[in-house]
Amino acid sequence: MNHKFRFAILLTAILASSSFQRPIHAQSPIEAPQETDQSENEKPVPIFTGSAGFISDVTGGSPDIHPIFSGILLIPIGDRWLIETRESFEDDMVQEPGRPGFHGPLQKEVDYAQLDFIANPYLTVTVGRFLTPFGIYNERLYPVWIRNLQSDPLILPIGTGPSNASTGAMLRGGFAANPAVTINYAVYFSALSTVTPVDSERTAGARAGLFFPKARLEIGGSFQHRLQDERSNLYGAHVIWQPLALPLDIRAEVARSQRGSGYWIEPAYRLTQLPFWRNEMRRTQIVARVQQFFTGELPSDDLPPVSTQEVEGGLNYYFLDGLKATANYGRQFSQAGNANIWTFGVTYRFLVPLGRTGSQQ
Amino acid sequence: MNARAILATLCALCLSSCFLAAAQERKQDPKTVASSRDQETSAEATDADGATPAAAPSPKPTPRSIEAAERIEGEKRFRTNCGRCHQPPHKFPPRVMATAIRHMRVRANITDEDQRLILKYMTQ
Ligand code: HEC
Repeated sequence: MNHKFRFAILLTAILASSSFQRPIHAQSPIEAPQETDQSENEKPVPIFTGSAGFISDVTGGSPDIHPIFSGILLIPIGDRWLIETRESFEDDMVQEPGRPGFHGPLQKEVDYAQLDFIANPYLTVTVGRFLTPFGIYNERLYPVWIRNLQSDPLILPIGTGPSNASTGAMLRGGFAANPAVTINYAVYFSALSTVTPVDSERTAGARAGLFFPKARLEIGGSFQHRLQDERSNLYGAHVIWQPLALPLDIRAEVARSQRGSGYWIEPAYRLTQLPFWRNEMRRTQIVARVQQFFTGELPSDDLPPVSTQEVEGGLNYYFLDGLKATANYGRQFSQAGNANIWTFGVTYRFLVPLGRTGSQQ
Repeated sequence: MNARAILATLCALCLSSCFLAAAQERKQDPKTVASSRDQETSAEATDADGATPAAAPSPKPTPRSIEAAERIEGEKRFRTNCGRCHQPPHKFPPRVMATAIRHMRVRANITDEDQRLILKYMTQ
């Protein structure tokens, strides 16, 4: 069976399974027998969730078709444990000279496979393979259904390693320092692994953030020390702000390393306040991103080979919770030449419970 | 237009949107704010009985008033936290929500208290 065919079957199965994904009030009493015990009714159930996306882009005139599927399995155990794993399958298909259609190998990645133990209100211990918590993009914004613009920021590979993941252990948590500030942190150690698809680098690092709930503002910083090759230090900083007065999200990151440095700023505005076509407008979001990357003293396989600047704009339309259509335009400027990048796509997040779901009280 | 000019224009746009937001924030009443943002979830929010933790002045709080206050607080925390990284999700059945929120507690570093109150709001 060829890759594309397999991918199409997988996608169809997931879309079909989405009929499970109904708002709670749609549930009939027959499917969800009344449970008398409150805690039994709220006992977490294993779920299979994830996303699918069909993205196509045209970079400097060359088209590229990029279907992607990510499946997440969440298995809660008792009150304090969680097993979580995400696997992604993606295909980067391009036109090859002399062959009709688009071709490219299917890539498989174990994004993470981790065991979490919620030790107390301040500490969660994670072991296994986890997304490297350097900056915010990798851990929080990467999935296709979440990202506002479909292309990765240029600086994403800084601090996240060859596969965006680390293999080892992590301590993390979030707690209120006082009613006006919550603190979040993650401290980790990762071992070297050269086995595909679970490769990672030998590093140790930390990220910390201060979140001000009243202003909906988070500022934070990341640090990583590489324990291999040039044994250098990497630094990052991030800001997320959702002003209360406007349906606006502003996110920004800066990263600095010996292999390159840069920043991105991304404001996204939901058109809920426009007085016309309200139903359509509140589902529409406009996004912009400005980014710059500067090469470092050392070369890198994952970062752009030359200093690059990019400006992007995009439009997202949210049909339902989890289903969106997206169109982006970007212009890249570098010594290697300037290029236009057009991206169009549809992304979808699904969620299927693997057991009884309980009923609303 | 060259790269630098486009970058400068966009930076100016980003900055002015920050200033605009900051200016509006000072002007606007938080109640209108809640309805301008998170449209999908505000529909669910309107069925709350209007009590706020401060507006439940009974000297001996009854279990019912504590429930109501916790629910309101849960909704507030949902609005503060759950649309920060992605679109705020709709409600799922309680046992599904319990798993998703445990996942988010680990991933998003939300606090123990946030987890408890948001779960309460999302499942009742
Ligand atoms: C710090 C960022 C962040 C915040 C804050 C956040 N989420 Fe998420 N959420 C994510 C990411 C990232 C994923 C995708 C997980 C993945 O692909 O590994 C996700 C996935 C989900 C999913 C899909 C199922 C799953 O568990 O993967 C649901 C439902 C969800 N979030 C609900 C919530 C709720 C409710 C809140 C508020 C308590 C919340 N999220 C706050 C980042 C966040």
